[in-house]
Amino acid sequence: MSVTESTSAALGAAAGAGSRPAPDGDALAPASGAAASGRAGAPARRGLARSLLRNRKATLGVGILVLFAALALLAPVLAPGDPTAITDTGSQPPSGEHLLGTTAKGQDVLALTLWGARSSLFVGFLVGLAATLVGVTVGLAAAYFGKVTDDVLSLATNVFLLLPGLPLLVVLAAFLPPGTGTVVVVLVITGWAGAARVLRSLALSIRAKDFVAAATVTGEGAGWIMFREILPNMASIVMSTLLGGVIFGIGSQAGLEFLGLGDVSVVSWGTNLYWASNDGALMVGAWWAFLPSGLCIALVAFGLALLNYAVDEVTNPRLRVPRRARSAARTLGGGTMVSAAAGTSAAHVGDDVGDVPVLEVCGLTVEYRGENRTVVGADRVSFTIGEGEVFGLAGESGCGKSTVAHAIMRLLREPAVITAGTVRFCGRDVLTMSDEELRAFRWRDVAMVFQSAMNSLNPVMTVGDQIADIFTTHERVSRAEALRRAGDLLELVQIDRSRLRSYPHQLSGGMRQRVVIAMAVALRPRLLIMDEPTTALDVVVQQEIMAQIADLRRELGFAVLFITHDMSLMIELSDRIGVMYAGRLVESAPAPLILTAPRHPYTRALIDAFPPLTGPRRELAGLADGVRFTDIGDLVEVAPEHWVAPHDEEVSA
Amino acid sequence: MRFVLRRLGFYLLAFWVSVTLNFLLPRFMPGDPVSRMFARSQSRMTPEQITQLQKLFGLDDRPVWQQYVDYLGNVVTGEMGVSISRFPTPVVEVIAGQIGWTILLGGTALVIAVLLGNLLGILAAWRRGGALDSFLPPVLVFVGSFPYFWLAMGALYLFGVSLGWFPLRHAFSAGSSPAWSGDFVADAALHLVLPAVTIVVVSVGGWMLAMRNTMIATNAEDYIVMAEAKGLRPGRIMFRYAARNAMLPAVTSFGMSLGFVVGGALLTEVVFAYPGVGYQLLAAVQGLDYPLMQGIFLTITAAVLLVNFLVDIVYVRLDPRVRAS
Repeated sequence: MSVTESTSAALGAAAGAGSRPAPDGDALAPASGAAASGRAGAPARRGLARSLLRNRKATLGVGILVLFAALALLAPVLAPGDPTAITDTGSQPPSGEHLLGTTAKGQDVLALTLWGARSSLFVGFLVGLAATLVGVTVGLAAAYFGKVTDDVLSLATNVFLLLPGLPLLVVLAAFLPPGTGTVVVVLVITGWAGAARVLRSLALSIRAKDFVAAATVTGEGAGWIMFREILPNMASIVMSTLLGGVIFGIGSQAGLEFLGLGDVSVVSWGTNLYWASNDGALMVGAWWAFLPSGLCIALVAFGLALLNYAVDEVTNPRLRVPRRARSAARTLGGGTMVSAAAGTSAAHVGDDVGDVPVLEVCGLTVEYRGENRTVVGADRVSFTIGEGEVFGLAGESGCGKSTVAHAIMRLLREPAVITAGTVRFCGRDVLTMSDEELRAFRWRDVAMVFQSAMNSLNPVMTVGDQIADIFTTHERVSRAEALRRAGDLLELVQIDRSRLRSYPHQLSGGMRQRVVIAMAVALRPRLLIMDEPTTALDVVVQQEIMAQIADLRRELGFAVLFITHDMSLMIELSDRIGVMYAGRLVESAPAPLILTAPRHPYTRALIDAFPPLTGPRRELAGLADGVRFTDIGDLVEVAPEHWVAPHDEEVSA
Repeated sequence: MRFVLRRLGFYLLAFWVSVTLNFLLPRFMPGDPVSRMFARSQSRMTPEQITQLQKLFGLDDRPVWQQYVDYLGNVVTGEMGVSISRFPTPVVEVIAGQIGWTILLGGTALVIAVLLGNLLGILAAWRRGGALDSFLPPVLVFVGSFPYFWLAMGALYLFGVSLGWFPLRHAFSAGSSPAWSGDFVADAALHLVLPAVTIVVVSVGGWMLAMRNTMIATNAEDYIVMAEAKGLRPGRIMFRYAARNAMLPAVTSFGMSLGFVVGGALLTEVVFAYPGVGYQLLAAVQGLDYPLMQGIFLTITAAVLLVNFLVDIVYVRLDPRVRAS
């Protein structure tokens, strides 16, 4: 694999702006020049081409364009006679003789429309191509030369972008001699800036990527970097710029010609409309004179827009309308979808803590249902958390810890579905709650501290308003009262009340996380879920935050579901620990037992992955290469309060 | 504040570019269009007017830099010469008499399209897979593919000529004259409906799709999940948390798209013979009225830049992160 292939693949995955293919060549025959300039790795290209072909919008769009290209090419064969021939049978409605009727001058509308396609499509694609070419040049030049060149180019681009296009077109066209050449030149002058703006920022962002730096370090020449490293990765956006440029070209040409500013003797869709309007076709009710040309412009633009839209969707799948959801649209703010089977098939496995536990999760199964395959995120997970207890959920990234945490509050969204199991909070079934009950349950009974405090605060709302929201929603107090209590909460986590008026970006990372923790305890919930609460923070701040949480727990006495991959931190804080692997719980025991007498080989590997602070030096041993656990069974109680999933080493246990 | 001043400087620069363009065009275009104009209309003008126009278009012996400095001075003082097609009214007066209608038409259509489009976009993104999300976008993309003027012609034919529901042309009925009376306002409103609706119909789809796509990205943010976890009511999450953030890019694109709206309004004005500056611009071109043409172009540019500047000020109010820096 060459450097280019690997780098473009990496970028495509990371930024969603990787190489995107051109649709089949003949569809955009005049466009193939620009599309071919993006030389991305062939394999990646074919994959994307296939997904474009599978996209119904893309196929429809390409179909429309192919049809019109064919009509334009075959106009001499298809058209009934000379479009410019003036006859004495003027303003005839559609008939057998003239399928689309005749104009006021007796010209055949069908012939005019077919011949018009030639000029309109030609000018449109030429304008799109030229504008894109200027855009690519400006983009590459700005990215390559940087500094003053970039400043000047971007300034020029922004100025041109701001000048009102059509009035400028009209003024330019008024001073230039009429003709198709003028129209093209004028359209490129007014149209290049839009393309340049997009492509410049794209080229700049690609230039900043690591692989370009790598190529620079390895001593690649400037030309090589521009054309082999930067340009191929712009292929997708170049493509959509081109499509946009063609839409602009066709539309603006029609507009100019309709105003009589083009060469009115040329047959094109725009001049057809100009003559229709000039001859007063509307006033005499000759709708057939202006309908076909306008429809053609709209259809071609629609085809291009569809294709553009499809290209967007293929690179950014989130934009696609979820197919399955069409029958039952769901709004955000409601709970995770719970399938009918849930709540029945659960076999109760877990500890008996005596009274009704705070949280009781039984056989919880969560599936992510994709269009092609279903992934099980959590598989028959069962555990309980008692009053005031700290339960740690450990496991590697992707094992389903967060899925379980989010499922408890039913925060998972499409395509996640809870397919089996029950979640009981103080005996109440969470999965059967109505949206309204769920809303009341959230935060009052169970609150959550999310992983990244920066991202879990709304950047455009003050910290005070975001805390106050909790009180105004759940306790229906006045805003003033809510803000007063928000101030108290901030003081509880040692932040000055004056910070109520701060926006999240004005706080340090540690402060933001403390704000989030303050919000979590606002309503004194009985259970606090903490999903990697300190992962994004440095070690010193981490310690402060954990001390803060310990203080609050002493004061308020809530139970905690603690999720982290930091085993030492977890063992230090938790009363009991559950270890998850591939969506399954493989071991559950009091924290000291997990540390001193882990039973499941995976738990042992997890514990062994951290060096002990004391004792002799020894080699750290993780799981042996290639070891995978499959078909993990239900937990079995092997000792009091110590539950382990059956595994190969059971005999020795 | 620094941000606002920097933007102001930028808009002044943009205006200077368009003034310079205006200065250069008649002087360096092939075919000497200005001489044609003089040949056609010289007989009607007084010697002073001829001298003034010759100065404006560089048909005298001053060096180019002197012409340029004088031209800049003329633009700043609003000295744009007399209109030729509407002789002998000064250009400034012609524009002043018509810009109101353009602001009325463009402003009404723009406000409605922006509000409606953004609202539809918010709702579509909120109910993914709902009717708004599945069916409306393709329909609006299709409608948006039609040329402004063609849709305007269609509307004029259907609702004006065939059905007779709306007047065919102009901004008010023949025989009445502008006044702040109930009758006149109702008459003007009736004349406004068709042109405004066509602009809204063509442009609303773009707003909706842009808002929908930003909303979808915003809805995946952690702070939206957090807001859900907080048990906030859906309406509050939708507007105060999601839409409030998603509208920031929309505000920026508002300024950008203003130029297009002006262009669309121009074509619509031509179809409906609506007496705004767009209609007048075309008339000026057809009548080889270069002074008026230049005046209108500069006025439109200045208006677009001014609105962009106002939008920037609003943006600063909306995004605390920009306010701070």
